Amino acid sequence: MVATVLRLRLRIMRRTLGREGWRLVVLIFGSLWALSALPSVIGGMVWASQQSSAVAHDVLVVAGTLLLTGWALVPVLVPGLDDSLDITRFATFGVSTRRLVPALLVASLVGVPTLFTALVCFAPAIAWSGAGGPGATALAVLLAPVALVTCVLASRISTGLAARVLGSRRSRESGAVVGLLVAALAVPLVLTIGSLGLEGALEHVPTVARVLGWTPLGLVWAAPAAVADRDLVGAAARTLLALAWVGVGIVVWERLLHRALVRPPSRGGEVRRRVDAMLPTREGRGPGARAAAAIARRGLRSWSADPRYLSSLLGAVVAPVVIVLLVATVVDAPAAVALSMGPLMAGTIGWGRHNDVAFDGSAFWMHVASRVPGWSDRLGRTVATLAWAVPLTAAVGVAGAFVGGRPDLVLAAAGASVGVLCGGLAVSAVFSALLPYPVPEAGANPYAAQMGAVGASMVAQAVTSAASLLVCAPVLVAYGSALWWRASMAPVVLLVGVVGGGAVLWTGIVLGGRVYDARQVRLLARMR
Amino acid sequence: MAGAEQTPTALPGAPALAPALSLRGLVKRFGPTVAVAGVDLDIPAGSFYGVVGPNGAGKTTTLSMATGLLLPDAGTVHVHGVDVWARPADAAPLIGVLPDGLRLFDRLTGSELLSYAGLLRGMAPDVIRPRREDLLTALDLRGAGGTLVADYSAGMTKKIALACALVHAPKVLVLDEPFEAVDPVSASAIRVILQHFVAAGGTVVLSSHVMALVERLCDHVAVVGAGRVLAAGTLDDVRGGQDLEARFVGLLGGGQQEPELTWLRPSSA
Repeated sequence: MVATVLRLRLRIMRRTLGREGWRLVVLIFGSLWALSALPSVIGGMVWASQQSSAVAHDVLVVAGTLLLTGWALVPVLVPGLDDSLDITRFATFGVSTRRLVPALLVASLVGVPTLFTALVCFAPAIAWSGAGGPGATALAVLLAPVALVTCVLASRISTGLAARVLGSRRSRESGAVVGLLVAALAVPLVLTIGSLGLEGALEHVPTVARVLGWTPLGLVWAAPAAVADRDLVGAAARTLLALAWVGVGIVVWERLLHRALVRPPSRGGEVRRRVDAMLPTREGRGPGARAAAAIARRGLRSWSADPRYLSSLLGAVVAPVVIVLLVATVVDAPAAVALSMGPLMAGTIGWGRHNDVAFDGSAFWMHVASRVPGWSDRLGRTVATLAWAVPLTAAVGVAGAFVGGRPDLVLAAAGASVGVLCGGLAVSAVFSALLPYPVPEAGANPYAAQMGAVGASMVAQAVTSAASLLVCAPVLVAYGSALWWRASMAPVVLLVGVVGGGAVLWTGIVLGGRVYDARQVRLLARMR
Repeated sequence: MAGAEQTPTALPGAPALAPALSLRGLVKRFGPTVAVAGVDLDIPAGSFYGVVGPNGAGKTTTLSMATGLLLPDAGTVHVHGVDVWARPADAAPLIGVLPDGLRLFDRLTGSELLSYAGLLRGMAPDVIRPRREDLLTALDLRGAGGTLVADYSAGMTKKIALACALVHAPKVLVLDEPFEAVDPVSASAIRVILQHFVAAGGTVVLSSHVMALVERLCDHVAVVGAGRVLAAGTLDDVRGGQDLEARFVGLLGGGQQEPELTWLRPSSA
């Protein structure tokens, strides 16, 4: 079974590479990037090998924890990376999950990220070859495959769980719970780091590393350190625990796969709504306005009930927070970092709508058959995002100003957030009618990678990113001048953000509407 | 019903009114394959028109081009004299479409989808509300009106899509495989709705590969194969004394050797 699935995986890879030149380019550049990153990893390990075993332990455990966390989080925050074989494709062959899981695990080890991670997992052996001695080095080599499998399992379980949670009809409730949990964890962390200062926080790294060394995230990295410290019992205990966690991971993954097989998420539990939320109580002003209002109401439903929207919402809202937190630990300018949170989130949300039509899939035919005016379609989609994103990004901007200790910039932060949101949405209003690229179908796994999409999606993403930056440049310049030059610019930033952003957005809707009118049939032909 | 006592005015041999749907020289290529190779077809107003053909004959492609959902490479389409591709906004209100194999917005409930379809057409909420109730009742979807379309069976999906095609009271209904996956009770309900629609002066065009159904329902029929119209006209003209299935097989040059799968029997291991 393992050999069959592995052959299948390799064959699929070869065929996709053959059909899609762009994917080959991505593969080559990815490999080159990975190769170019290796010397710095090895250099770091050589440096660690010259330090005391305590320092090496701290560095390796923290870095290893980051690697594992990255494997668990990045695929959830950036949809479209999970290119593993979909187990539901095996549903008709009557093979038990128990037999498929080892095969799928081996198959998912094939790929550039896993290859690179495999090399990184062996790197600690270099660090222990100096101060650690042969025992620690040998254990580091032995545990490298365990670390790799832990990484892969972490990503599969996190996307599997996320798809499950988002796909369930109770996703709104669970989404709120997850959001609260993240906030409950992140806020004290930020506050602690803030109160200690960066230098103070760094003094606590050894304590943190010691604790992490006993968590599933750090066991594999801490075990060789224990050998280096001649704590053989500790090393054995950590090794056994690391293996046990892999076992637990495999069982959890198998359960997730099994549930995906026997109860696809799209068919989870019926929802009954008495009230027709689409039909308004008031008359609209004219046919176009009625259509726009209906499209906005349907968009809001998608934001609360469609797993694909929820996963991109998660990415758009959580990713900026993670980026800002990571940058905050490196850059020594906490005010600027905190103040950039609002506009950054606004940017990811606004820009994130640049492929909005593709999310409708072929259901888009209803819009085409009705010949909805282009401006109605654009306006409806924009309003559906504005309705929740304006309060959210403005609030995050304001909170950032207070956290960064610059309450005098509250107006500027709110204005910049709204301005960037409007700019991003304006670009999306034009380009979602121009450059659609494939996304997972409604009801499918929101994290699945799309075949035949690399070239189109790279072009669309590059063009929309550049256009968004260009459109948002004025408000960003104003914001920067308020931040670094004169705080009295704050009301000007608010004005530029709200009035300028509104004007840009209006232009985007009108222009996008014309593009839509001219291209809607072609657009439909590219949906599936 | 207002149109119940009206009888269809078009008699065979009487001077034809402006056709409900007029296709001229329609061509569509997908890469090297020619899906539709020059289709000319006139569908008289008030007719119940069946389009039959084997798999891959170009039925769906032709109907998509006729309803403004797929851009033809060449040719024109007129609905009651309105050019579909030159004046799409004027043509759209005249047409109701039930496409085959296209999705619906499945995060809406059945009644929400129906309201959504009406609102996209720019209808007023007060007009939509009673029609929504009528359609849900007529298609026996009353009990499922509050369920998400994602949880609908194939037949229920077909029925709610048909309701969406009817909500704006079009003049011409173009239905691609309307009876596929629909149970016999619902099929007869749909049939009654369509017959009333035609009796009231509307035009129905449907595609199917079930000959018996087309023979029973339609008064006109077109046989398409390999992207061309092989025969078209009133049912009796096309049949020419035979039954439709025999004529169909004759037109398509059937009579292949029957394939034998000798190993395919329960007794062989």
